[in-house]
Amino acid sequence: MPNWLDVNPRSGVPIYVQLVEQIKHALEVGILQTGEQLPTVRQLASELTIAPNTIVKAYDELANLGLIESRQGIGTIVVANLDGRLHAQQQEALFQRLQVLVRDATHLGISAEVLSDRFAAAKKQFYQQQYEQGG
Amino acid sequence: MSEEKSTSIVPGNNELRPAHGQTAAIEIHDLVVKYGSKRAVDGLTFTVPTGTIFGFLGPNGSGKTTTIKTLLGFRQPDGGSARVFGYDIANQSLQVRARIGYVNETNSLYDYLTIPQLCAFSRSLSREWNQQVVDRYIEVFGLPPREKVGHLSKGMKSQLALCLALGSNPDLLILDEPTTGLDPLARHEFLNTLVSEVAAEGKTIFFSSHILSEVEAVADWVAIIRVGKLVLCEELDHLKQTQKVIKLTYIDLPPVSEIERLRSLPEVMSLAQEGRSVRLIAHGDLDTLMQTLQARPYALREVETVDLNLEDLFMEYMKESNNGR
Repeated sequence: MPNWLDVNPRSGVPIYVQLVEQIKHALEVGILQTGEQLPTVRQLASELTIAPNTIVKAYDELANLGLIESRQGIGTIVVANLDGRLHAQQQEALFQRLQVLVRDATHLGISAEVLSDRFAAAKKQFYQQQYEQGG
Repeated sequence: MSEEKSTSIVPGNNELRPAHGQTAAIEIHDLVVKYGSKRAVDGLTFTVPTGTIFGFLGPNGSGKTTTIKTLLGFRQPDGGSARVFGYDIANQSLQVRARIGYVNETNSLYDYLTIPQLCAFSRSLSREWNQQVVDRYIEVFGLPPREKVGHLSKGMKSQLALCLALGSNPDLLILDEPTTGLDPLARHEFLNTLVSEVAAEGKTIFFSSHILSEVEAVADWVAIIRVGKLVLCEELDHLKQTQKVIKLTYIDLPPVSEIERLRSLPEVMSLAQEGRSVRLIAHGDLDTLMQTLQARPYALREVETVDLNLEDLFMEYMKESNNGR
């Protein structure tokens, strides 16, 4: 039973969205590995005291993302990131945050030059470390 | 969500699917129930999809219990109609009751009987009965199996009532404020049994409550009733995703025309202004709304979106003087 799953029913975020996000995160950080079996809908409903339909919704979403699959007689299995889909999504999300960041900068009245300077400094800091680590 | 995957995600049990296009467990249409001249239920219309956990919410005295009593045939409607799995509650009452298991907080459970005697009695009233199911749940709840009903605590009586309601293998469980009087542990046990056993079997669960937090944890759908009228009936997830608070901070004090413009937007349910700060309750197409807000003539310093939980939403709807959704 996943002890890393923590849903908050009282949040404004729907429970199934929380489940999807947490399972995705577990995949990202390696808590869940390819080939591992997820709990059945019933087990998870009992574990978390939430509606089975909610879990079905979450599992459907994860299946649509290509992250899990249902196998006859075995249960629900984590499959590999198909075609690096998860990674591509994370990249996309990051670039969207970048857009928001730059937009917010304009609202704050930060000039393009100042923004570029700051960006270059950050790049130097983090990508430099990468070079030093041989990455 | 792709429908083709329905049986594969949950092997062999289609009934856990959300009820797109499936038969409704309960259909209520323009229902009116009066006590004297007072309309306890005043033109109520909504549908409970099969296989869902449906939370029926409302303040005390809003008509929840009257609605339930009418569904069960304890009251005839004064207007409108209702069906349970297609059977008319007014003139097919027996067929309706055969499909329902009922749990009431003030169940008169014949205090002088022992639990086994009460089981035998309930069995005699039911068309089909499965004592093993009842025994299993008695054990799950940790009830003393041979005890006199009168010696049980209020909470244990609720739990026993649920056990008995399940004995007749109903397709629909109707519960009226079922966890009243239960301590937190017992309440958790009760809800857990509902979701992991009852709902997982594909049964429909309709329960009225004024405890928002427990509805929020287990309900797929919620309906809110107020003074006998429906305020909303929606999938809980959809409600949370489409209703948000949006906080606007203007750079300069916005003129009345701007406030009126905001108020007139179809997505804006309500608006409160304090100087340069405006708080909107928005619902529906929030992307369109955000675009409209962004394209305003009056400069905004900040736009912040806040998620609403069930309690927030409930309070907001109780404040509304005209329930326009």
